Amino acid sequence: MQLTIRATGENAKMVSYLLAKNPNNIYERNQKGHLVRMFYSKFNDEELEATIFVTPDPLEMLQNKSNSYDITHYINDREFAVSSIFCSFIRSALGTALNGQPNEEYSEWVGHRFPLALEFGPVSSSLSDKQLEGLFQPMGYEVAISRPEIHYSFDLKEKSSARTLTLTGHQTLQNALRHLFVLIPVIDNYKHYFIDEKEIDKLERYGEGWLEEHPLRELIYRQALRFKEVYSLVEKPAANELIEEPVKKARLNDMRYEKIIETASRLKPKSVVDFGSGEGKLAVQLGFMDGIQELLAVEPSQTETLKAIRRFEKAKEQAGFVEPETLWGSLYYYDERLKGKDMIILCEVIEHIDAERLPKALDTILHAYAPESLIITTPNREYNELYDMDDHFRHDDHRFEWTRKEFQDWCSERNHQGHYELEFSGIGEEQELQGQPTQMCVFKRKVNQL
Amino acid sequence: MRIGLPHAGIVLLVGPSNSGKTTLLRKLVDQKEILPSEIISSDDFRMLVSDKDFIDWRNRPQDEAAALMDEYQEISTEAFEMMDALIEARCRLNKLVLVDATHLWGDDRKRFISLAQKNHVPITALVFDIPERVLLERDEQRDQPRGKKRIKQQSQVFRNEKRFIKKEGFASVYTIKETEGLELFRHVNPLDIELQDGIDVIGDIHGCFAEFVELLEKLGYQENPEGLYVHPFGRRFLSVGDVMSRGPESVRTLQFFLRHVEEGLAYMIDSNHGWKIARWLDGRQVVLSHGDEKVEEEFVQYEKEAGSEKTLELKQQLKEFLLNAPSHYVIHKNGVPVLAAAHAGIKDAFIGKQSQAISDFCRYGDTGGFNENGKPVRKDWTVSHSRNLLIVWGHDPKPKPLLINNTINIDQGVVFGGELTAYRYPERDFVSVKAKDVYTGTVDNPLAEWEKNRLNPPNISKFLHGYSVLTEDVGEVKVPSDIVKPAIDAVSHFTVPIEQLVYIPPTMSPTPKPSSLAGYLEHPKEAIDYYRSHGVQRLVAEKKHMGSRAILFLFKDTDAAKKHTGIASLGTIYTRTGKRFFDGETEAKMVHQLNNELERINYFEQHETDYVLLDAEIMPWNLKAKELISSQYAHVSENALVDRGMLKSKLEAAAKDNEELAGWLKEYESKLANVQTFNEVFQKYCWNVESTESIQIAPFHVLAHSKQTFFDQPHTWHMEMNRMLASQSDLFVETEFKIISDEASEQEVVRWWQEMTEDGHEGIIIKPESYIPKNKGKLLQPAIKVRGQKYLSIIYGMDYLEEKNLARLKNRNTGKKQKLALKEFALGIEGLTRFVGRESIERVHECVLGTLAMESDPVDPRL
Repeated sequence: MQLTIRATGENAKMVSYLLAKNPNNIYERNQKGHLVRMFYSKFNDEELEATIFVTPDPLEMLQNKSNSYDITHYINDREFAVSSIFCSFIRSALGTALNGQPNEEYSEWVGHRFPLALEFGPVSSSLSDKQLEGLFQPMGYEVAISRPEIHYSFDLKEKSSARTLTLTGHQTLQNALRHLFVLIPVIDNYKHYFIDEKEIDKLERYGEGWLEEHPLRELIYRQALRFKEVYSLVEKPAANELIEEPVKKARLNDMRYEKIIETASRLKPKSVVDFGSGEGKLAVQLGFMDGIQELLAVEPSQTETLKAIRRFEKAKEQAGFVEPETLWGSLYYYDERLKGKDMIILCEVIEHIDAERLPKALDTILHAYAPESLIITTPNREYNELYDMDDHFRHDDHRFEWTRKEFQDWCSERNHQGHYELEFSGIGEEQELQGQPTQMCVFKRKVNQL
Repeated sequence: MRIGLPHAGIVLLVGPSNSGKTTLLRKLVDQKEILPSEIISSDDFRMLVSDKDFIDWRNRPQDEAAALMDEYQEISTEAFEMMDALIEARCRLNKLVLVDATHLWGDDRKRFISLAQKNHVPITALVFDIPERVLLERDEQRDQPRGKKRIKQQSQVFRNEKRFIKKEGFASVYTIKETEGLELFRHVNPLDIELQDGIDVIGDIHGCFAEFVELLEKLGYQENPEGLYVHPFGRRFLSVGDVMSRGPESVRTLQFFLRHVEEGLAYMIDSNHGWKIARWLDGRQVVLSHGDEKVEEEFVQYEKEAGSEKTLELKQQLKEFLLNAPSHYVIHKNGVPVLAAAHAGIKDAFIGKQSQAISDFCRYGDTGGFNENGKPVRKDWTVSHSRNLLIVWGHDPKPKPLLINNTINIDQGVVFGGELTAYRYPERDFVSVKAKDVYTGTVDNPLAEWEKNRLNPPNISKFLHGYSVLTEDVGEVKVPSDIVKPAIDAVSHFTVPIEQLVYIPPTMSPTPKPSSLAGYLEHPKEAIDYYRSHGVQRLVAEKKHMGSRAILFLFKDTDAAKKHTGIASLGTIYTRTGKRFFDGETEAKMVHQLNNELERINYFEQHETDYVLLDAEIMPWNLKAKELISSQYAHVSENALVDRGMLKSKLEAAAKDNEELAGWLKEYESKLANVQTFNEVFQKYCWNVESTESIQIAPFHVLAHSKQTFFDQPHTWHMEMNRMLASQSDLFVETEFKIISDEASEQEVVRWWQEMTEDGHEGIIIKPESYIPKNKGKLLQPAIKVRGQKYLSIIYGMDYLEEKNLARLKNRNTGKKQKLALKEFALGIEGLTRFVGRESIERVHECVLGTLAMESDPVDPRL
């Protein structure tokens, strides 16, 4: 991680006073074992070149890393990439310049715009070259990006993921550094850096005078304050984010829940199992259903269940809500607690399971748990045609998507003991040829359990 | 008069004051017939709680007398409460307690009777029937006379009550009119057997006499001229019951046991069928079914042959024999209980005790209602067994002896065409004989039923709250709930089906100590030293391939797969985390090719197996890890090259004019060289894979075939198998190995390791020759990896050899890793042994899930 500042022109030497670093000496400070170092490689009347870099202590850097049992624990780009960590390392070395407070006799140079070139890298960023340029161009920089050639003995990757940026332009040193201190963390794919509200302060301080007008302000804020909770503190209420797809999707989700609730209400179940309840969106609605007494939300994933619990806790404040009990469960295990309920729901669950594992799971549901009714919903593959999505599934994790015929045949096979009556329908906007985006089957018990 | 006191339980002394209760007890203590601690007296407890054993309110004004009576009442209440607690504790512990108080009132006695019943111990009454005159005389001679009025009162009550006592529910009632000449002795516990020369516990015979005799002979019993089967070393055999019914020769088997038990050569315990036949022989109204009707038929036949008189006599003898068969036996070794044998099961609290409830439990197990087919639901009583005493039982046929939670089921359903099992103690091994026929149960055959249910989905409630697995090699392995849950999540989303996920390879520890050599973190010396110091002399050093670990589960054909896993596929290949190694299409192709190769060498026929389970490394590394290599290793390498390359150039340029920079430049030259090594090392294990031909599989363990596991084979055998497989295959490759047996071969291995690792090869694994290495009964690390100097840069970072880094890394602690390695190793062996033994997939899964859990991170405690 390094930054080289090059100034040219007759006043180039003045930059050393603004940096408050003697060009005749090399600079080295130890910060918890990490060495912050600086040296001048050019210093004459026409040109000044100073490089500040960090030689980190690789083991010390891992102290607070969370994945300490990971095989790649010690293999870490944080040692090399220019990142927020780099900024915090060099902040005090560059403090004078950053704050624009050199020795009084040089203070007139604080506002002086030098012909500057700032070279820094490597950067580890998911932003495209174009986006990177877009970050610096508005302040009047020319941006040059270089990427090393790579040669591997086997096919591994197209191009290197390490880039170096060179910005050239007329800037005051202070502004140039402020730009870097705000934008370096924005560029970096940092994963191991805790962000809190102090970051907002920093943004406001270093961003003064340029960030508010920056055309990519939204992006900068979002990237800088990576976590939603922090970002929401500064989010503009009128942020006009127009993303069409999710809206449509949300709509279909709602329709699906509506239809399930409507179907369920007709069957008047007292006890319902929401299998694969995820973050509890459906379960929370089931909790308000008339006559419901017992609601089990079954889910094997911890993160999803935690979200569900938060959702249920909020809903509890409203009257008439039957709080779902979250159960750690899965289709591949037998769970006595699910036996003999009025209704089991598999809402958009089966398509996440390898088709060959399903028959056994469904056998457990229909013939061991034996609910009075079972509701299954799954995408209708025929409808994908209208989404213009080639051969892809609607979700990365989908193991299959079925046509209506496939689904109907499959459901009939599951009812091999003939205990249930099957009823098929669809959810969502109907097309003559493709049907509806979601298909549904309701299994109703004909045979009473002995 | 001689009175036998039971070995345990409550002995209630009944009689008014001055009837001689305390005096008798004192005498017995003096004679050392009983211990002072076996006596509990209400007077003592009054003393303990209040410092007074008696309060006299005679001759007191009424107000004072009333207050004193109150006080006495209060003291008595407290004293009795304490006393009951103590009595109950002694009952729970199966000790004897003699209660010294008047016990004149029925309610008092009933309290103790129910206390005894509740704790399944016998209760005896010693009733002191002494004339009132004598009582009054004795009272006058006391230090603190109770007074005429009170004695007369008590005597009156006693006279009224004494006729009821016999009917109150005492196991025995003795009436003592005269304490002179009274002799008491102690019975021993009839359930106790001293192990002596060894015991052979035999499973349910069900009239399969031929198999039974064959088994006895296999166990070494020899028939003597009197027709008795006697063991030359004095061993005895013990049947867990159900010697009759269902099978062909019930009467003969019963006669056999009758004789041998009478001769002290054998034991037989009560059982459900035994009890039914006993009551039938006793002439009670019973419906003979479930094969009991066959016993009746046999008796009809017997009568035709032997005549009615002999039949009657035999029936009489067998009736007594069966009615008196104990509910269970407790085997003692050097006086310490080590093993209990019961028919259908037993609770810890019942062991060594007798009662109707215990008999029922031992006969039928923990039954809870009936299922939809009208059969009793057998509940799993083994889960609550927590004592360190082994319980051997039968009743519920399983295909193989089933070891669960320190209990062993040895009913292998010989009458259903299974096997007759003997469990030898203290040898702790099994001897079995195959059934000569399927004698019964074409419908509802429990072995077939077991087979049908074998692949049922595991019961999640067994795992969710944490559980433990009893392993053969390290004992109990605890799997806490916070690590189980993420493993269940993984199994629910990412792994191959539970039925195919039968084994997860254990983690492996590096050398327990870091290398003592400068510049090395790991070196073979420390691994060899570890084993030497644990008494292992012969070691196998295997070249470690650098690819991805894989388990290959390959079947002879889809029918065989269906039989063992319920899934008709030629096989599957999965990773250490249980995920499918290849995508479905590639897997099918690979498995198909492997199947062809194995068929070509006639593998399945030659080894008489339906499948082979291989533990292997699949190369190249990038096959599975391309994404990781690209996003981590290559990415870091590129960033480091850029960073260090740029700095080196800049320092080089500036150093010409600035001597001070020479140090930094040198540092960065060396750092750049480190990246270059790093960059070369990770590419070494990668090559392009255009087709399956570029894939290499190095199987280093042949884990199991359908009839056996190979954990009993030394690693040299596994290496031979590896060679054999590699020689015939386009996919399998050989693993180089060397044997360490002396100084010279050790040096040779070090040289070999040095050479290959300088070339960038990963390193070697050092294993004791035997697969399950133990020293003084304790499991040792089954293998230790020794990785090369260069290779470790992709593990510990490119600069790990820099002095200040290496010094810190040498402080690494492998303790946790070693413990984990042992547990996972034991779980792996246990799980696979169960799978090969055709145990339920739930029992296999608990082992697999345990290892997956240990390799996963803990979850949020709120869940």
